[in-house]
Amino acid sequence: MPHRFPILSEDSADKVPSLTMEIIFRLKVKDAMMTSLWTATKKHTFREIQTVMRDNEISGVPVLDDNRLVGIVSVSDIINALDSGHIEEPIEAYMSKQLIVLEDDMPLSFAVSYYNKYPYRRFPVINKNKEFVGILTTKDVLTAILNEMNNEINILENQLHHDKVELPNQIIREYIIKQFDFEKAGQASFKLKKLLKEKEVSRKIIRRASVAAYEMEINVAIHSNGGKITFVLEKDSITIITKDTGPGIADVAQAIEEGYSTANDWIRSLGFGAGMGIPNTKRVSDEFKIESEPGKGTIVKSVIYLEETDESQ
Amino acid sequence: MRKKVLLSDVVTAVKGRVLNNGDADYVRWVVSSGLMSDVLTTEEEEILLLSSLTTTQVVRTADMVGAHAILLACGKPISSDTVSLASELGITLISCEIPVFEAGHLLAPLFFGD
Repeated sequence: MPHRFPILSEDSADKVPSLTMEIIFRLKVKDAMMTSLWTATKKHTFREIQTVMRDNEISGVPVLDDNRLVGIVSVSDIINALDSGHIEEPIEAYMSKQLIVLEDDMPLSFAVSYYNKYPYRRFPVINKNKEFVGILTTKDVLTAILNEMNNEINILENQLHHDKVELPNQIIREYIIKQFDFEKAGQASFKLKKLLKEKEVSRKIIRRASVAAYEMEINVAIHSNGGKITFVLEKDSITIITKDTGPGIADVAQAIEEGYSTANDWIRSLGFGAGMGIPNTKRVSDEFKIESEPGKGTIVKSVIYLEETDESQ
Repeated sequence: MRKKVLLSDVVTAVKGRVLNNGDADYVRWVVSSGLMSDVLTTEEEEILLLSSLTTTQVVRTADMVGAHAILLACGKPISSDTVSLASELGITLISCEIPVFEAGHLLAPLFFGD
């Protein structure tokens, strides 16, 4: 059976990411509701309200007596009025008076549960003095949740770039790599290359670091579910680390072998996936380490010394 | 050190079309492959990358190995993304109608001649 709003049904609540739960508990009805509205009085006729609904493309008009909510006229009330021939009459005698209302201080989670419980798509909202203050539709709820999620994601992404504490004589850069984002893969390596140029690192070292970073970045983009790449530039070395979120490598020893690849034809048609990425990275690195666990993820670390040593020639 | 070959001579030899003028006007060697990892193993510098792949990753690969120019063979359609990345990275981008093998054959005298 299709779910209407699975976020808060009893058995699904524990499957929802805690951030989503936190957002719908943190947001109040008043954060999401519409406050700029058309309202009517009891003396208006159904015809007048129908005109307002049609001209403004709305599907419900609250009826007020001073600031008190006394009823609501919906599209179905209009249809009934047309059907029963009282379309030209004042609404007072026919409007819906049994109203389910929300309070503006309730958490949004409460409103979400109302949509599960009742067949209505909109609820009038009152404040603690029982005065009418707004209307909450499903669209308002979705918009509020999406806006808040965007804010949260922005905060998380910014943290990712800034939460590394740099020691003196250390520069750290971190970039997100998205799965299959073949257009953007290589951008992080390009930025590393630029940084090393600025720091006047020798051309040979820049080339080795670029090759390592690029192969590692491509590997995350084509083989993993996505991850991040981190560059740590210190006085005598550059360390490149990729961390991804899975699926992991079953046989690491095999993956390091030249020519071994699990890449599909699509990746191969783009000029990669010949099983040379890891061997290439290893070849240009002074230190190389790969750790992986199937079902979890892979961490690859390459260290390149800034002073050319005999071993690395 | 290998001798300099002007990119204008390369264009003439393969009847190429210049899609982007980069920072350098010469190369010293040609690396040809359809496999970018292969290109990344090269030790040569100031190269011309000859390939029939036309993705943006060809340009990124060229940049990583410090290539001066890219020659895209077989007259394949080249996306504006590929051209604009080459322009951003200051790499000369040339296209030609002939296949990779033939292009290599026509270029060889420029690099191996006196």
